[in-house]
Amino acid sequence: MRVDLFWVCLWCLLRPGAAGQGQSTAVCSPSCSCDGDGGADCSGRGLTTVPSGLSTFTYYLDLSMNNITELPAYVFKNFPYLEELRLAGNDLSFIHPEALSGLHQLKVLQLINVMSFFEGLQQLRHLWLDDNNLTEVPVGCLRHQANLQALTLALNRILYIPDNAFANLTSLVVLHLHNNRIKEIGDNCFAGLVNLETLDLNFNNLMVFPKAIEALPKLKELGFHSNGIASIPEGAFHNNPLLRTIHLYDNPLSFVGASAFQNLSDLHSLMLRGASMMQDFPILTLTNNLESLTLSGTKISSIPADLCEDLKLLRTLDLSYNEIQRLPSLQGCVRLQEISFQNNHIKQIDRDTFQGLSALRLLDLSINEIDVIHRDAFLSLTALTNLDLSKNSLTVIPTSGLSSLSQLKLSQNPQMKNVLTAKNLPKLRSISVPYAYQCCAFVGCDSVTSSSEDSDIKKSTGGEDVERISMIMHCSPSPGAFKPCEHLLGNWM
Amino acid sequence: QHKQLSGVTSGCQQGGCLTCSDYNGCLSCKPRFFMHLERIGMKQIGVCMTSCPPGFFGTRLPERNTCTKCRSECDSCFNKNFCTRCRAGFYLHLGKCLENCPDGLIRSDTQRECV
Repeated sequence: MRVDLFWVCLWCLLRPGAAGQGQSTAVCSPSCSCDGDGGADCSGRGLTTVPSGLSTFTYYLDLSMNNITELPAYVFKNFPYLEELRLAGNDLSFIHPEALSGLHQLKVLQLINVMSFFEGLQQLRHLWLDDNNLTEVPVGCLRHQANLQALTLALNRILYIPDNAFANLTSLVVLHLHNNRIKEIGDNCFAGLVNLETLDLNFNNLMVFPKAIEALPKLKELGFHSNGIASIPEGAFHNNPLLRTIHLYDNPLSFVGASAFQNLSDLHSLMLRGASMMQDFPILTLTNNLESLTLSGTKISSIPADLCEDLKLLRTLDLSYNEIQRLPSLQGCVRLQEISFQNNHIKQIDRDTFQGLSALRLLDLSINEIDVIHRDAFLSLTALTNLDLSKNSLTVIPTSGLSSLSQLKLSQNPQMKNVLTAKNLPKLRSISVPYAYQCCAFVGCDSVTSSSEDSDIKKSTGGEDVERISMIMHCSPSPGAFKPCEHLLGNWM
Repeated sequence: QHKQLSGVTSGCQQGGCLTCSDYNGCLSCKPRFFMHLERIGMKQIGVCMTSCPPGFFGTRLPERNTCTKCRSECDSCFNKNFCTRCRAGFYLHLGKCLENCPDGLIRSDTQRECV
């Protein structure tokens, strides 16, 4: 194996940009500035063609922000070592299929029996073609770029991606296609991209889910937000088990297949808004590293009872604006910090609904039909600071367990007429109540303070309790001069 | 006071500026230029550049081009998750800067790559 190591080292030394030691004297073009280490910056010089006079050993060439409109055949043939080519921000509308040909590294060392055979090894690894006027993927010129690892074609005018457009780019890891006009893509347009990890299709005109991603087994980051996609099919990501992030917001989603997000064990966050026809809660088996789940604006009416058996790492759960009627126990989701069930059809909260959620800080149950909350429902919520129960049908609420609560919203519970007490709410700082007189228990009626003042009113009856209560900064609606006894006069105000 | 850049004025020295203020430098850039916030002591000055400085990558969007810092182990990068050159002590492999190379590859200190 000794020989193997020798040839590898030789290849490294031969390659330019190898820290530049012993590099030939810096050859540069008057239109560029060269760093003497194989880097040439010719950006923003108003160039209309690739400048001549640059070093053969150039490995980094920045031609961005010029006025180059086309790349003829073999235009880079004098740069066999080119690894990084920036052509962003030109007016490129045509790239000859042979434009990138000639970027061959030397035919290196055919060695029989010991080492594999390198021939015509392309050197180009990072190619910027963004912010040009390309109307199609330059398939021809990409054909030989087996070493290309990162490519951006963002901010062009590409309308369609044909099948096998990137077929030979087996080393490609990152592909940016955002901000084009892509309306349609071939079902096999990503064939060959076996190492692709990041695909950015954001801000295009796709109308159909990009089924072509099936060819991307190593995909980790996928973005197709801000398109025109109406549905996500069943098993949409069944061939992309390594997905970590999927950005799909700002699509007119109306349907999402229940099995679309199954078996995505690296997925950390799932955000689905406005899939208005979606009825079934997505199956999330083995998608067990989810930390944030947002499913809102759907027709989902029930939550699977075993939700928290899979989602033990969940920290935020937003199921607002659905049609959920009943809540299962969320006991297993012990890391939950934020929950929103706002705007559903929930009628009651059971004893075990939030049991064990000692990390929960924010709980929004507003705009539901809750009329019963079990007295121990909040017993474990010792870290809860914000509780919103406004716009429900409550008459009473249990307060035991809410020792950390600082903000409580109860407005628009018209049947809740009893005088509230802050007995179990030592840290309460802000409360909204159905009726003004109920604020008397918090800010004292006889000396009305403005809601922002911190006053310490000693009431003869309350003693220590009252003193602690009166530390509450804000209660609304505050019992002003014109709303002394809301309850007695009924709700005519 | 925001100025529509007519000529070069104090505090707005670069040509890529579209609007600028003496105190904050460039507030917006001409098309295709990248807005980069440069720290000078306690202050941050807006600078418009044809490409982002080393250690940053450019994100082009229709309304604005911005420079974003690469990951700490990268000297230069293509995007947040893809490095193109590593810091000393790290070795590049498929866009990742690793302290150790995968099996079958060796560390090249000159290249800072796994080869």
